[in-house]
Amino acid sequence: MKQKTPVMPDTGADDETPPETENLAALPSALLPLREEVLANLAMLAQIPAPTGEEAQRTQYILDRFVAAGLPEAGPDEAGNAVGFLPGKSGRRTVMLVAHLDTPIPKDADHNVFVQADRIVGAGVADNSLGVAVMSMIPRCLEELGIHLDSNLQFLGSVRSLHRGDHEGLRFFLDHAQRPSDFGVVVEGIELGRLNTFSIGTVRADIICDVRPEYERGYGAGSALIVLNHIINRLLKISTPTRPFTKIRLGQIKAGALYNVEPNHGELGLEVVSDSNEMIDRIVGEITDIVAESSARNAIDTRLDCFFRREPGGIPFAHPLVKSVVNVMSQLEIQPDQAHRPSELSEFIAHGIPAVTLGITTGETHIRRPDFVMIDPILTGVAQIIGVLLEIDRGACDEQ
Amino acid sequence: MNNEAWLAQRTFHHSNFWDIKWLVEEKQRQGLTISLCLPTYNEEKTIGKEIVILKSELRDRYPLLDEIAVIDSGSTDRTLEIAASFGADVYLAEEHLTECGSHRGKGENLWKALYLLKGDIIVYVDSDINNIHPRFVYGLLGPLIKDPEIHYVKAFYDRPLAFSHGLRPTGGGRVTEILTRPLFSLFYPELTAILQPLSGEYAGRRSILEQIPFPVGYGVETAMLIDIYEKLGMSGFAQTDLDTRHHRNQETIALGRMSFGILRTMFNRLTREQRAQFSGELPKIMRQFNVQDGHFEQVEYLIEEIERPPIIEIDAYMQKFHPELQPANS
Repeated sequence: MKQKTPVMPDTGADDETPPETENLAALPSALLPLREEVLANLAMLAQIPAPTGEEAQRTQYILDRFVAAGLPEAGPDEAGNAVGFLPGKSGRRTVMLVAHLDTPIPKDADHNVFVQADRIVGAGVADNSLGVAVMSMIPRCLEELGIHLDSNLQFLGSVRSLHRGDHEGLRFFLDHAQRPSDFGVVVEGIELGRLNTFSIGTVRADIICDVRPEYERGYGAGSALIVLNHIINRLLKISTPTRPFTKIRLGQIKAGALYNVEPNHGELGLEVVSDSNEMIDRIVGEITDIVAESSARNAIDTRLDCFFRREPGGIPFAHPLVKSVVNVMSQLEIQPDQAHRPSELSEFIAHGIPAVTLGITTGETHIRRPDFVMIDPILTGVAQIIGVLLEIDRGACDEQ
Repeated sequence: MNNEAWLAQRTFHHSNFWDIKWLVEEKQRQGLTISLCLPTYNEEKTIGKEIVILKSELRDRYPLLDEIAVIDSGSTDRTLEIAASFGADVYLAEEHLTECGSHRGKGENLWKALYLLKGDIIVYVDSDINNIHPRFVYGLLGPLIKDPEIHYVKAFYDRPLAFSHGLRPTGGGRVTEILTRPLFSLFYPELTAILQPLSGEYAGRRSILEQIPFPVGYGVETAMLIDIYEKLGMSGFAQTDLDTRHHRNQETIALGRMSFGILRTMFNRLTREQRAQFSGELPKIMRQFNVQDGHFEQVEYLIEEIERPPIIEIDAYMQKFHPELQPANS
């Protein structure tokens, strides 16, 4: 293997004072020889369907990448996550990089990827094939740059993250990890500049309505759709304060198949988000009452299924990890955007691990048409991840 | 070697050659250079992905390919811009070997590739493949690197799979089954063992490709098989199963024109070998019909099926690749 000239200084585990990370702005250019490899990795990965719960083929793909990159430890865990480990020189710290393998795209959808001059287009390329592709390329990038970290790097392609998966893969790993992580970096495809440091408290639930058989009905609605409409009207009357930020989102409704038949089954998907746990408890209590009352009044079976709960929390803006990330972004001329967006960050928060969620490039994500990601900013996004690893490695992110 | 023995010994699956690192080591040990040729004409939708994946996997990660070149027939879309931006060498066919004139067609690009590219082995891969994967290249190179007796490897995309009621027939596309295989059965029975004679992916040694003529149009794949067969017999061939290939399907009417070109190529060879005779020159016009508002309209297509000579007959080629055979200047 050819000898690489280090672009960045060796972070020097034995030094008394860790060196400042310098020359970060040169990193994207130094990564240029890997551009096609990153794009190829994205294109091949994105063409593997991976709806939640069916990520096995992607897991194998990522494990193959880990092995090819020379990671001494690479294999699946019991949950089906793709796990890789790159030991640091001293292993004083362990940094975990995670990207979720599953996508919201059905298996039978067209997964063909198009590589255009300025962008890559395809189902799920932004959420989250690019995040996975970059996460799995970090060992290659470090090798290309001649960087040998003092810290251990723990890589995880996580399964069952989305929807009812409820971050199951990452949670399993964090619950059972043999080596506790000191820091976490959640890698998402878009947007470059994304800097999530806190997680809003969230409950996700389905209200499931089944009309009783005709002979059991006293009086009441014959249509699940009408019942759900009554429930929606009641939900809209629940008062939510501006502070602490609280919101009820009605996100999905499913009922009926034909124009001439009133449905006997319906489902309403909703989300309650708030900065306050107490507020979430109050609202979930009110929704529970509404559903129970509706069930009794309409003589039908209606139930509330809360399948997802995330506690509010995170690290403060003053945390050294956040300051370091902002510093890295500044050197790479990335504008930080700290608006909240859901990610697997909440699992790190729940486990008391300082963590951030970072995006790689600009683009758009869609459900009914293909995502796209812009090619040009990708290497800046990769450089940002490496910059953050270097900051963590030199101890700049440690709490005093 | 009869057909069954040939099938058993010379039919591979791409997974036989999954160890790309070994292929690279063996290629280097043999001192081989390998070029990938992607013939294009308005392929902006697929060319980017082909180059990115093949370059990344087979040149950057594993240096199996020494060059990746797009040879274009005059695209009017962004094919050339995209190809160049992802690191392929880009050639416009009409700008090279100008002393030989210019014709438009895939075969023209493949023929000029022999002059433009440097490899001892040339891999030809069509540019319209949606599910491109490195196997499309290393699956074809594997037999050539493994066995020096093999000179030409053809792709196929189907395997006889065991069904509940036995084996199902494997086969090629519509033109293969309706035209090419019946013709081969009549005149070149051994070549019927090539499961998909019209597949657009194949690899060959320069030493044989430089000796055969190239039809510039539809007949190039058929001609290659017949002409290499005439020189080397079946022992020069192998074929590799590349699993599935997703690409644009052509309309039946377009396949009719393709069949016309293949028939002309086939008849050229039969008359050349004095196995068939026709009084006078065969027509070059293919007639098809459109119907609109109850009226039938005849459409005539000129399909000349021009053939390029073996490229060793071209001075510029010989000067570049075989200078030792050039007469010394007096």
